[in-house]
Amino acid sequence: MNDMSIVERKLTQDEIKISARGVQVYYGDKHAIKDVNVDILDKTVTAFIGPSGCGKSTFLRCINRMNDTIDAARVDGKILLDGEDIYDKRVDPVQLRAKVGMVFQKPNPFPKSIYDNVAYGPRIHGLARTRGELDEIVEKSLRGAALWNEVKDRLQEAGTGLSGGQQQRLCIARAVATQPEVLLMDEPCSALDPIATSQVEELIDQLRQDFSVVIVTHSMQQAARVSQKTAFFHLGNLVEYGATDDIFTRPQDPRTESYISGRIG
Amino acid sequence: MTDTTSGVVPESAGEPAMKSLLIADARTRRRNAAETRFRAYGIIAIGLAIAALFWLLSTILADGSSAFRQTYATIPVSIDASVVDPKGNRNPEEMRKVLTLSYEKLLTTGLKDYIAKENLQIEGLSDRDLKGFLSDQAKANLRASVLNDPELIGQVVTVPALTSSRIDGYFKGRVTAEQAARDSKTSPAQLALADALKSRDVLETRFNMGFLTNADASETRPESAGLGVAILGSAYMMLIVLVLALPIGVAASIYLEEFAPKNRLTDVIEVNIANLAAVPSIVYGILGLAVFINFVGLPRSAPIVGGLVLTLMTLPTIIIATRAALKAVPPSIRDAALGVGASRMQTVFHHVLPLAMPGILTGTIIGLAHALGETAPLLLIGMVAFVQDYPDAPPAGLFDPASALPVQIYNWTRRADPAFFERAAGAIIVLLVFLLIMNLAAIWLRRRFERRW
Repeated sequence: MNDMSIVERKLTQDEIKISARGVQVYYGDKHAIKDVNVDILDKTVTAFIGPSGCGKSTFLRCINRMNDTIDAARVDGKILLDGEDIYDKRVDPVQLRAKVGMVFQKPNPFPKSIYDNVAYGPRIHGLARTRGELDEIVEKSLRGAALWNEVKDRLQEAGTGLSGGQQQRLCIARAVATQPEVLLMDEPCSALDPIATSQVEELIDQLRQDFSVVIVTHSMQQAARVSQKTAFFHLGNLVEYGATDDIFTRPQDPRTESYISGRIG
Repeated sequence: MTDTTSGVVPESAGEPAMKSLLIADARTRRRNAAETRFRAYGIIAIGLAIAALFWLLSTILADGSSAFRQTYATIPVSIDASVVDPKGNRNPEEMRKVLTLSYEKLLTTGLKDYIAKENLQIEGLSDRDLKGFLSDQAKANLRASVLNDPELIGQVVTVPALTSSRIDGYFKGRVTAEQAARDSKTSPAQLALADALKSRDVLETRFNMGFLTNADASETRPESAGLGVAILGSAYMMLIVLVLALPIGVAASIYLEEFAPKNRLTDVIEVNIANLAAVPSIVYGILGLAVFINFVGLPRSAPIVGGLVLTLMTLPTIIIATRAALKAVPPSIRDAALGVGASRMQTVFHHVLPLAMPGILTGTIIGLAHALGETAPLLLIGMVAFVQDYPDAPPAGLFDPASALPVQIYNWTRRADPAFFERAAGAIIVLLVFLLIMNLAAIWLRRRFERRW
């Protein structure tokens, strides 16, 4: 693993990957997300911060339409992925989720072998034609998730037998294996100890070379460490969005300032 | 039972003295006493339950275990050609015209000859006692074996023949000499003959395979009544219930749990499934009678109708168990599968269903066990009939008349002859053994499929 040279790594691109316009989310009568407009860049780590219940996870789940699985949820507005509206009637959420991978708060490997965990996505999407190709994808994904050296000798053992940090990296490998373009992470480190957290953070920085990464986090230190862009959510509103350095050193909005200085939230 | 705080003034009110941890105060003592009492109630309840179960099982075993043994007489009988084949041409058609009554003569003669040969002196032994000594079924069996194998004619055969239920009961302690004096179906002399034959090892009480394989028998020959047709009928019905209820129930549960929108209609369906599970089983019997027999026109007393009725009755149980098993699968597994782009159906069939399998199988087997012991609906669809012919092999046999284990028990308890009481208890043992096997299968499947996550 390389050192944590986050600052030195330049933003290679400013291309817009996801662009949200006037997004509203309702859970039944509750207006959870109010008119959010945001442009998320490719090959960039974007952090969503904010107090609990501010809607950052809800908005994250809009980006791969995981909110569709909740009956009471209703989404208005437009979210464009590479210029295409993902809420268009013709879009199949299953295809979308192959393009926009997701890692959850609690590590949730399938109760299957490590190999099958990673191979599941490529299998259902038909990404490998032969056993050899599948082996290759599994190895590449596990290497990408910095887990290969730890598990290469026990690929047939249960994924649930790994430690918490390893499980979370296995989930990242599983998400990476479907070759997505965007990787959504919903508080991926909240269930991990500091050592596992730093491993996952390092990994997130490496993933930025290939994907646009969006991460929801409760830890402002984490947002500052891993992200290039930060969005601050408060009570369903996107209060402020900008370069991470600017948000943490020169916040424009008084609410942002109160939050990062620890007065609210 | 419960601690009440109202009106209890703290002992140490106004007195800031040091309290020792070594001495329990009044409040703690009361609390501990309440806990001890509660534990005692629990132990008493469990003790009562175990005692009741033990009592139940021991009475059933005491009454029923004798049904698995039966007394047979092995005496030489010469098959007289002039009796069984009066025309002497060995024509099966004509031999068939010789009735069982003639074979009774053969057996009685055999018995008489044996008594004469052994020079047994039994006071008051009448011809009627000799005739009634062996079962009516023994005569029928002898006729069947002669018709089956005409070579036997003219030979002396010594096949074990069923004795009458009174003689059998005498060796099982059910019939005594005093009772026999008042009993029109036996006499003290007949019992004395039984003792004499027993001492010469001609009578033998041994394991009764016929109890598990024979068909039901009429009022007059309880010694030959068996569970064969009932076991077949029950097995056919379980087959139908398994084949119909498991896929329908699991499919319905998966749809309701994983796909159906949560709205008023699904709420109504959900409440109704819970209600159906509580509907008395006899109501399902009336439904089966009205729909399957009167409307569809399926035959009465057939396992197909019984199986369909029991399927309807078992479905709610299976649906409720399956939905509980599906609900118990952590939602994070569904999120994980959806997150890598699996469709809902792939999520269910690749991940949720395998994890729910132990619960589904356990629920299904419990439902089947419930159906196996169900009597009331079967009475209404005519399975209470007296059936002496074995049903054919499925599928054709599903439409033949058959009995069922619990109905057979019910039938036998209604008959007057005390020999049927023993057989009813024996049938209960068979039914309980089947239920035990099913429950063990449920436990085994649960262990086998259980996975941790």
